[in-house]
Amino acid sequence: MSNENSRNFKSWPVTIILTVFSLPILVMYLYLVVDTFTNTEPGSLIPNEFTFEHWRFLWETEPGRVSIWTATLNTLIFASVMTALVLSVSLTAGYALSRLNMPYRRFFLGGVLTLHAFPTVTLVIALFIVLQMVGLYNTLIGVIFIKAALMLPFGIWVMKGFYDTVPWEIEMAGVQDGASRFMVWHKLVLPQIKPGLIALGVFSFLEGWSEYVLPQIFTPDADVQVLSVYLASLIADDQNFDFNLFKSIGLFYIMPVIVLYLLFQNKLMNIYGGGSKG
Amino acid sequence: MRQRIGLLGLGFMAPAMIMVVVFFLIPVIMTAFFAFTNMGTATGVSGGEYLLTPKIIKQFEANQTLDEKVITALGSSSYIVNKTNLARAKEAGLKSKYLGEIDKKLHGKTFASRRQFERALKKLKSRPRNTRALIKSTAHFSNSVLNTRYETLGDFKTALSNNGAILAEPQLKIVTQASYTGWIWTTDNFTTMFSKPDTWFVAVNTLVYVVLVLAFNIFFGLFLSLTTFYLPTGQSVFFRAIWLLPRISPPVLYVLLWKWLTWDTGFISTVLGWFGMAPYNFMLGSVESAWTVVILINGFVGASLGMILFSSAIQAIPTSILYASEVDGANRWQQIRYIILPQLRWPILFTTSYTTLSLLTSFEYILLSTRGGPGGTTNVWALEAYFTALNNYSGNLQYGYGAAMALVLVTIGISVSLLYLRLFKFDDLVTRPRIES
Repeated sequence: MSNENSRNFKSWPVTIILTVFSLPILVMYLYLVVDTFTNTEPGSLIPNEFTFEHWRFLWETEPGRVSIWTATLNTLIFASVMTALVLSVSLTAGYALSRLNMPYRRFFLGGVLTLHAFPTVTLVIALFIVLQMVGLYNTLIGVIFIKAALMLPFGIWVMKGFYDTVPWEIEMAGVQDGASRFMVWHKLVLPQIKPGLIALGVFSFLEGWSEYVLPQIFTPDADVQVLSVYLASLIADDQNFDFNLFKSIGLFYIMPVIVLYLLFQNKLMNIYGGGSKG
Repeated sequence: MRQRIGLLGLGFMAPAMIMVVVFFLIPVIMTAFFAFTNMGTATGVSGGEYLLTPKIIKQFEANQTLDEKVITALGSSSYIVNKTNLARAKEAGLKSKYLGEIDKKLHGKTFASRRQFERALKKLKSRPRNTRALIKSTAHFSNSVLNTRYETLGDFKTALSNNGAILAEPQLKIVTQASYTGWIWTTDNFTTMFSKPDTWFVAVNTLVYVVLVLAFNIFFGLFLSLTTFYLPTGQSVFFRAIWLLPRISPPVLYVLLWKWLTWDTGFISTVLGWFGMAPYNFMLGSVESAWTVVILINGFVGASLGMILFSSAIQAIPTSILYASEVDGANRWQQIRYIILPQLRWPILFTTSYTTLSLLTSFEYILLSTRGGPGGTTNVWALEAYFTALNNYSGNLQYGYGAAMALVLVTIGISVSLLYLRLFKFDDLVTRPRIES
């Protein structure tokens, strides 16, 4: 309905209304970029000086704080290992739920959907105590497993959806030719769902990269901090509210997200449609 | 063949099942179990000891649970000369001649106060000449139960009777319960929860939060999807991308940007400053402004979910219907009202139910923005549970109480999602496998 001009409709009032409503977002993200390279007098919104000083966190580490690169490395490890875990587990479970005639299938499917709606806060109290008892508190391994487990119901559900779209005829043909179901899955079905795998992979990675609550609870210590906890604790400790510094770190933090998003936009839209945040 | 496929299926499910058991089932069972205990930092998670402190005695006095005689007996420190105490004094390095004389002359005697005991000691020949040393030596014979740790109930009871406090069975029970430092089974969490006015305040907050954010999400999602549908392609792509930014941004950064916008040194205050208004912190300045900011923060993120889902539903409507209506002279509002909205019934219902559930249990954005402030006015149930059990300024983490609060959320969550399973025709999702069925 987009390009043609209709007699009973003009589009410019709509454009104006939408622009007004979008102003907060436009302003926030515009200044996210502008403020990191400039200084502005208090009481003004127009920068008066160009500077790189807000980016000094890249090569200087304040005493008592961990280097940004350690935090970045931690975030990278956290997000990628968690993604690998989610992918490998939901790859098989999704297939079993979609295609295999096994006992209790209905029950498993209902269970996955129910788990997806489970409040994080319920699990976290018990996991906090368990992790402290087994000595995985303040380690990346612990929080990786927890985040992966919490992502799992969603991952399985998405993978099941992708398996559902693979035509039965492919598998039928494989079975006719004498291949086992495992063989059929491995050789014929897996190549078909590669796009789904990439989409879920990128999505999980972004989720892990952005995650705040779980690392805040399970890995608050400086040397295992991820970027979100690093930035949040910097904001919480700072009395002067150096917004330019926060924004520079924030921009550094969001850049990989934007890049990945632009690269995999269309694939991700399928998953965002399923929704994972309020 | 069929059985083998079953085994293959279970094998394929095994890793997922293990993770679900370890990270969902066990924690939930533990939460249910914690909810009926008074576990916390004060009690620890393993066992405890018996420790009677002056504070507990003061509580007895205040509550008048025990009669005064018993309380004074518990609080008093009597002095007994017996083998254990002599051995203790010897270990502490008192002179054996002095101890020998005490043993000979005072053995088996009990003194109700230090003064009496001192008087008796002063009659001894080998006593320390220094009064302070004499007073110090009495300490080894003290039988006070106050501030001494006892590992078992038996030890504690013996100590109580040695102390001279004669307690009837019900009284003894009160004392031992009050002095136990470990956790115990209790349903107090639930009774306190339902009797505390704070709980109802938080519950109402949660309701207000869910309803307002939900309304914002749905209406704004609809608004965005309808307007972008009617705009030229370039513009609609632009606006959709803008509105996706909050969703793809990490929450910490997204809330930081809101902080900058609403802080008293931030954008809005600066702009208002040009018109002579004093700087104002909208995020924490007043209850109303804090709520507005919290709802906008969540609403701006949530609106994009509605936008995506509704947009794809609108795009699925055959354009010929819309063209036909146009020929018939329908304006845009009539098209929306009579053609598009009826098609959106299911997506709206889905988004509503999905968002309700996730709003009910999410607290991330509030934690990052207002932390429930100012003064707990924007606190919601999940955040309160988090603060109670895992993060508060006093450092006294109440696992038991927090778990009880979380258990209420789980109960609501499970029943609501079971309801949704019926609503959204679960059976359609479970299509039968076609090979060997």
